[in-house]
Amino acid sequence: MGGYGDVQMIDENGIRVDGRGPADIRPITIETGVVPVADGSCRMTWGTNEAIVAVYGPMEAHPRKIQRQDRAVLDVAYNMAPFSTTDRMRPGFNRRSREVSKVTKDALESVVMLELYPRSKIRINIEIVSAEAGTRCVGLTAASVALADAGIPMTEMVVSVASGKINDIVVCDLNKEEDNYGEADLPMGILPNTGELVFLQMDGDLSQDEFKQAWQYNMDASKEIHKIMVDALRGNSS
Amino acid sequence: MSIPIVPNLLRDHLSALAHSDERIDGRGQWEGRLLEVEHSILPRAEGSARVRMGDTIVLAGVKFQIMQPYPDRPNQGGLMCSAEVRPVAGRNWEAGPPSPESIELGRVVDRGIRESGCIDVDSLCIIPGEKAWQVILDLFAVSDDGNLFDAFALAGIVALRNATVPAERFEVGDDYPLGVSKSPIMCSYHKVGGRFVYDADSREELGGDERIHITLGDDDNVHSLQKGLKGIFTTDEFQEIMDNARKRTKEIREVMDSL
Repeated sequence: MGGYGDVQMIDENGIRVDGRGPADIRPITIETGVVPVADGSCRMTWGTNEAIVAVYGPMEAHPRKIQRQDRAVLDVAYNMAPFSTTDRMRPGFNRRSREVSKVTKDALESVVMLELYPRSKIRINIEIVSAEAGTRCVGLTAASVALADAGIPMTEMVVSVASGKINDIVVCDLNKEEDNYGEADLPMGILPNTGELVFLQMDGDLSQDEFKQAWQYNMDASKEIHKIMVDALRGNSS
Repeated sequence: MSIPIVPNLLRDHLSALAHSDERIDGRGQWEGRLLEVEHSILPRAEGSARVRMGDTIVLAGVKFQIMQPYPDRPNQGGLMCSAEVRPVAGRNWEAGPPSPESIELGRVVDRGIRESGCIDVDSLCIIPGEKAWQVILDLFAVSDDGNLFDAFALAGIVALRNATVPAERFEVGDDYPLGVSKSPIMCSYHKVGGRFVYDADSREELGGDERIHITLGDDDNVHSLQKGLKGIFTTDEFQEIMDNARKRTKEIREVMDSL
């Protein structure tokens, strides 16, 4: 978090640099079946973020040491393409993408009915081809849609969204410019029908009241995003 | 890339089809799949393209860096081309360091673009001996249903042709279009069921033998050739492919120029 509180990012009427109000999310589009050779796939744009997710499986888990006798395992890989960022991202693994892959896997393993596929593996490849801010939320949300597109049983789709703070004001879904000057970031993975959580991170500085506000913004936004996901899967995509 | 077991049934089937002058998806011997090309589709890249050939889909993105020119070429910038086929693109592609297959892909595409001289490396110099632009072309497979070579090569040249040099961001003057004066086009042929076909899909690649890649420039000049995989071919077979490549590269170039 930069914490450059002196740069004015919100005007006196609460209007943000891109014209949104504090609770508004960036425009979202979702399309399924974008990787024809995969068992399920999803392309999601969110602001100028773009993620492509492919799901393969359930398939044989090998090497055998990764097999679980009582359930399937998820193999989740989050990656940013070299041309996804302003300065070119060097290809290959880095600590950040490993961590995002892990927390995404932990979130999805909480909803996928793994016990239906003992000893097998479901591969989920998340590729960020354009990054703005909040790519882990885009990746996790798009992965839920891709899993549904692949017909993998889940108790519910995960919706991931973040709220943060700029100029001491809590706002939902920071864009790139706001993120550069952001004072806090609270990404959550929400099951919108039950209000339960499967993913939570936070960094920055939030008072107890600000934290409650950010939490509520995420909860409200998750319902709006969930509707877009369901529409895309039903074939009335935006 | 993990190599799936090649079922003899598939090889026999492809062979039978070839004898009756047919292909597994109903195309003619020299017929390509439906081609779709878009450019400037990636907001963070300085130049970009998406190419779709049937169910094969690739992206290309151009980024720029400032480099110090090589001591023996103080007035020249550089071009780097790399291809990545990550597991997203198909169930047989695996995570990890670049496989020999994806390195070959990147290098063959790189040679076609580089050797055509389509980018004037002298124009990439900012301060002789001190600063020059390095153009980085990254090729990225979204869906591999065969013939990534041609898809990558086309996406690469289209992305370069639509690239803007981000001079303002690096505080070295005003942005300007990257000059791309030539249009090298690659055509790939696969030996399937004993004869060469153009634009093989993944089943034909799986049940086929050797492949040959040809990159031709605007005047039919040859800029790169590559023979891949196990197999033997004759001069006559090669001549037939070359004749087809001369026709097909022109058609693809027309598609590109109409964008």
